[in-house]
Amino acid sequence: MTTSDSVILLVEDNPQDEELTLRAFKKSKILNPIVVARDGVEALDFLFARGAHAGRDPSVMPQLILLDLKLPKMDGLEVLEQIRADERTRLLPVVILTSSVEDQDRLRGYGLGANSYVRKPVDFTQFIEAVRQLGLYWLVLNESAPKLAGGQR
Amino acid sequence: MQEGRVVGREASRDERSEEALARAEREAAEAKRELESLCYAVSHDLRAPLRAIDGFGLALAEDYADVLDDEGRRYLGYIRTSAQRMALLIDELLSLSRISTADLAPARVDLTAVALAAVQRLRAAHPQRRVEVSVEEGLTAVGDSRLLAIVLDALVDNAWKFTGKRARARIEVGTTRTGDGPAFFVRDDGAGFDMAFAGKLFGAFQRFHPSSDFEGTGVGLATVQRIVRRHGGRVWAQAEVDRGATFYFTLGSQEPHP
Repeated sequence: MTTSDSVILLVEDNPQDEELTLRAFKKSKILNPIVVARDGVEALDFLFARGAHAGRDPSVMPQLILLDLKLPKMDGLEVLEQIRADERTRLLPVVILTSSVEDQDRLRGYGLGANSYVRKPVDFTQFIEAVRQLGLYWLVLNESAPKLAGGQR
Repeated sequence: MQEGRVVGREASRDERSEEALARAEREAAEAKRELESLCYAVSHDLRAPLRAIDGFGLALAEDYADVLDDEGRRYLGYIRTSAQRMALLIDELLSLSRISTADLAPARVDLTAVALAAVQRLRAAHPQRRVEVSVEEGLTAVGDSRLLAIVLDALVDNAWKFTGKRARARIEVGTTRTGDGPAFFVRDDGAGFDMAFAGKLFGAFQRFHPSSDFEGTGVGLATVQRIVRRHGGRVWAQAEVDRGATFYFTLGSQEPHP
């Protein structure tokens, strides 16, 4: 089930790419709140409500995770691996959103359980269209996995 | 530095020394890995600034249209097209370097079918063009099917492109006897080029025509040459300005079978 207030987690270290992605969401009329994590550690801190995000309610999970691969501290594939390894997050939709179309990245990304792999186009008009389609698919069309009964913490 | 080079040269000459051979192989593998990681960095890191140039260029055009006059908006257009073009060049450079390092998977390849598919694709993309095409039956070769398809696609694309200013054009794909023995060829009756510059034909990003006349990045023939060389073959061309061009290629020990 989707509501317009379900959160999107954007994992992106480049501030200009962040601003462009937020702009692309706005242009695509996707108004969901977007949480930005600037490195892999921060992304996991948000998901597991620890560190700087210790105060948040860990039972509320993002509707969609947009994951860049090249990140400081812990790269995107490592973040994905940890997301898939934890009962609380293993079924969350993760879309890799990156510059790379290297075979090795795509193979490892899918191998680690990415739901989708999208290359960021240089042409911003195409980027907006990619974001619009991602939003439509993952926030509206797609039905995500039901929450586990007994809500494991 | 100089000392190191001298040592390196002597070692590579000593072909009977297995140790030297093993060392050369290790160095080649290391160089290949370095090239691959460089390409990886290029594909990641060079695209991000381009995305910013294009994206914020568009943002400026959208949000500040009222404070820009026509000339200002035109300049912004140039900035964006240039960023997009550079992205294309990066992609092509990357695929060129990938071709140099890709492992070959040799199999018998039906070159007639590959050429006909390329023509069909071009006809669908440019239905208004009138091009008479003849492709010899039964052209086959042993090689990497994906890479050989890139060769024929690029040569047929080229022939199609450089006959673009002809009301009626003719493209021919086949085999012929040359001074170098039998070779495949792709011939067109298009713009051709001055043979004085033939030496530059296969250099990456070399272009013979202004982009206003013929689009392109100048990577196609460089790619063709790399692939043909990796198959132990040779590629060359014969042309005359405004009288068309013929590209010939061999594939090493694989003689064309007409």
